[in-house]
Amino acid sequence: MQTKNLNLSIKSYFDMSQLLQKYRGSHKENRELALQEERLQKAPVKLLLKWLDKNLYRVTTELNSKKYLEYLSSFNSALGLFSFVFGFLVGVGLLSYSGESPVNIVYYLLIVVFMPLFSMFVSLLSIIFPGKVGNFFTMLFPLHWIEKLVKAIAFRNKMDEFEIPFSSKFTKIFFIERVQLFSLIFSIGILISLVVMVVATDIAFGWSTTLQISVDAFHKFINYIGIWWAKIFPSAIPSLELIDMSHYFRLGAKVDNSMVENADKLGAWWKFLAMSTLFYSIILRFLFWLFTKELLHKQLEKEFLSLDGVSKILKEFNRPFVSTVAPKPERHLDIKKSTKERITPKKKEEYSTLLGWNYSIDEIKLINDATGVVVENMLEVGGSNSFTQDSGIANSLKGKVILYVKSWEPPTMDFIDFLEMVIDNSAVTKIEIYPLGTVGKYYKSNPKDIAVWERKIDTLKSDKVWIIDNE
Amino acid sequence: MSNTIEYPKFAVVGHPNKGKSSIVSALSHDSSVQIGDTPGTTQVKRSFPLKVDNKIVYELFDTPGFQRARQILAWLNEHKPSSADKRVDVVKAFIAEHRENPRFRDEIELLEPIVEGAGIIYVVDASKPYGPEYEIEMEILRWCGQPSMAILNLIGDEDYREEWKRALGQYFRLVRTFNPMRAKFNDHIELLEAMAHLNEEWTKSIKVAIDVLKKLHRQKIEQTIDVVVDYIIKSLSFVYKQKIKNKDATTEEKERAKERYKAQLIKNEKQLEREIESIWQHLGVKKEKEDLALDNIGLFSKQSASIFGLSQKELIVTGASAGAIGGLGIDLALGGGTMFLASLIGGAVGGVGAMMGFDNLYEMRVMGQKFGKKELSIGPMKNINFPYILLGRSLYYAYMISNRSHAKRDTLELKDDGFLLEDIFDAESRKKLEKLHTKLRAGDNPTDSMVEEYKDIVLKNYLAFVEAD
Ligand SMILES: Nc1nc2c(ncn2[C@@H]2O[C@H](COP(=O)(O)OP(=O)(O)O)[C@@H](O)[C@H]2O)c(=O)[nH]1
Ligand SMILES: [Mg+2]
Repeated sequence: MQTKNLNLSIKSYFDMSQLLQKYRGSHKENRELALQEERLQKAPVKLLLKWLDKNLYRVTTELNSKKYLEYLSSFNSALGLFSFVFGFLVGVGLLSYSGESPVNIVYYLLIVVFMPLFSMFVSLLSIIFPGKVGNFFTMLFPLHWIEKLVKAIAFRNKMDEFEIPFSSKFTKIFFIERVQLFSLIFSIGILISLVVMVVATDIAFGWSTTLQISVDAFHKFINYIGIWWAKIFPSAIPSLELIDMSHYFRLGAKVDNSMVENADKLGAWWKFLAMSTLFYSIILRFLFWLFTKELLHKQLEKEFLSLDGVSKILKEFNRPFVSTVAPKPERHLDIKKSTKERITPKKKEEYSTLLGWNYSIDEIKLINDATGVVVENMLEVGGSNSFTQDSGIANSLKGKVILYVKSWEPPTMDFIDFLEMVIDNSAVTKIEIYPLGTVGKYYKSNPKDIAVWERKIDTLKSDKVWIIDNE
Repeated sequence: MSNTIEYPKFAVVGHPNKGKSSIVSALSHDSSVQIGDTPGTTQVKRSFPLKVDNKIVYELFDTPGFQRARQILAWLNEHKPSSADKRVDVVKAFIAEHRENPRFRDEIELLEPIVEGAGIIYVVDASKPYGPEYEIEMEILRWCGQPSMAILNLIGDEDYREEWKRALGQYFRLVRTFNPMRAKFNDHIELLEAMAHLNEEWTKSIKVAIDVLKKLHRQKIEQTIDVVVDYIIKSLSFVYKQKIKNKDATTEEKERAKERYKAQLIKNEKQLEREIESIWQHLGVKKEKEDLALDNIGLFSKQSASIFGLSQKELIVTGASAGAIGGLGIDLALGGGTMFLASLIGGAVGGVGAMMGFDNLYEMRVMGQKFGKKELSIGPMKNINFPYILLGRSLYYAYMISNRSHAKRDTLELKDDGFLLEDIFDAESRKKLEKLHTKLRAGDNPTDSMVEEYKDIVLKNYLAFVEAD
């Protein structure tokens, strides 16, 4: 699924850098995305673009890329149009034939063959040499100054609102790439002007230089230039005769009569000029433009991958997400404080029966030594008794009952069941529960444990039940 | 076995209030579990799966405690099957018959995962004496016929483990002590290793889990060191700037700038603490408000310097060997014998104690700006001990959080605890750090390679420290 979103562009770079300021995703989310897009696992940039696509909605303010691209596109169209018109006018200027002196093809060739070669050479140097040296070469381009001017006037305020996240290296390559594009448009302007001029006017071409160049040498030179298309398009290579015929001397001589007579033959130059423009200014430039575009893309990718936060996300794409916690939240229970005071201090009281919950008779006797409680009738409850045995005991009780419990064991429902049976026995008038500590603590219980018992007993809402605090 | 499942499950069961939820909370690093001294806080069974990319490796269940064990065992005994291998079917029948009965809700929640194949982890509080009433629960668990182990938790301050071991030994092949409040990572791993032996079929999965958890633990440490070092570099190279009206800053302007500068450093530290908490899944841990060691002002206090920074002597040795204060001409050969000299130089390098006047230690400058506007700038911090204070405080915090059990619900106590930087970093590492500090103090922009080097040094030393711990 190769949607258009999955191609890295200046827009995605901008959006990513803006989104990362705000949001970087959790490991879980990021890993899930990576697992969903299994096919993209080996293509980090595409995976990141997918991530961007999924999360960009989180940027709620205006996208910086929008502003920047608006700026860029107006800048580009202005300069594009300018380059075209400029190219066209330069073409017209070069090809204007006053009827007096012929159009000097040397000038024309300077513009369509040597200037592009030179400019591409300088671009190359500027790419190869980093830093100051490279910057020196960029200064040779008129576009560099035009851009500076444009920036200073029109877009200054707009662009100051946010930082342009590109490095200077990217900016440089971007600039060079634009130079190629505008030069290309410029050259198209020239080519069109050539076609228009050839169709609409009658041009006589000639050649002349201040240098002493023989016809032969010039012929050779022309053949070098045309070497690329000599085979496939021989008629676009001027013959020696034509070259000889169109040689003229600017100084002294007027246009020679033979030249006037052969004006239509001289016009045959146009094919050569058109091919030169097409090859050097357009095809070569186009290829060079593609090359710089590719460089630009590589650089963009490099900077995209080193945006702050990207390495974290990439790590999370690749790292299995481990979860140990409960996926469902717990419904927390609120713990109510008891509503009624149920604590009674230990008093010397007469009990009809002493019960030991989970205590053996031997243990109860030992406890009695410590607590000073004296009761004739002592019974084990809970523990190894069966439930039926215990319910028999509950029903046989009467009067005031004391019940030993282990304070550290919170009351279970089994205990509550038993207690409820005792409460339901109307012969029982009072039940005092005595939570005891361990032998090691001399049966002293922890106040926290007492509180647990108190809360639980409170839920029974019975006035018969009390808790003894041995403090 | 009849219940073959694709991954091992374990049900943590026992009497109410013996620390079942605490154990599950600690093992699953889940601090949201309700733990309370009121029995019945856990009302339904809860699942805590260990998942790797949504694939379950094992599953833990927290369960409510036994409430009516005696009545259930009675029912089971009434329905005793002819052979022991059919007992689990009786337990299943019990569940089926009582599903709608609220009296047995807790037991059904507890028994259900077991009859579905979960191993049994039976939790008792061995700080309290053993009682025969526990045999009822253990008997019921035996009816389930699943692999089982017992955990001795020590909630109180007494120790009845010996009698517990004798009794539990009758029912459980494995008995282990595990304290959910104090257990550190290695204790978790040891417990898991014991669990792996409960059933041959589970061994592989548990080994995978151990592996995953070890990796995760290591990653968390790395992540922690990453955020700690990022924080230190950010704070050390921080420069506060402020426009001023006149040619020179007024005292008021200077004071305000100082306050802002300090406030930003404190803010950085707070943010780091939250990041560390989030890495270790301890977000929202309660902290002692008036904790002297790590509070807001503490960052700039003498006390903090003496606890977390390097000692004066170490500072001088480190500084001198890294060339940071080499110009002072300390003769290292004299070693400890130069304490008098050292204390003199201590004054010059801003060591511990009396030298902790921070006011003079961050550079304050007035700089010209465009259009005649002046700017007051503070930072970076020149105090030679300051980086160590930041490092000491943040590693101490990281250490405390990373070792905090998820079963804890109390406030985090931050005492110095003799956490000494000198114990973490050897002299060689300190020297390397000092070189980096010197660059940062000079206002150099921290490069990626500097940050990497810093992280490597801290990680290496911290790992060695926690491994020896
Ligand atoms: N000091 C201490 N307290 C513990 C320990 N384990 C559990 N507790 C406390 O015992 C009480 C009951 O714990 P909880 O985990 O809810 O038990 P559960 O009912 O078995 O789930 C809580 O107040 C815990 O804080 C321990 O190892 N040490
Ligand atoms: Mg619980």
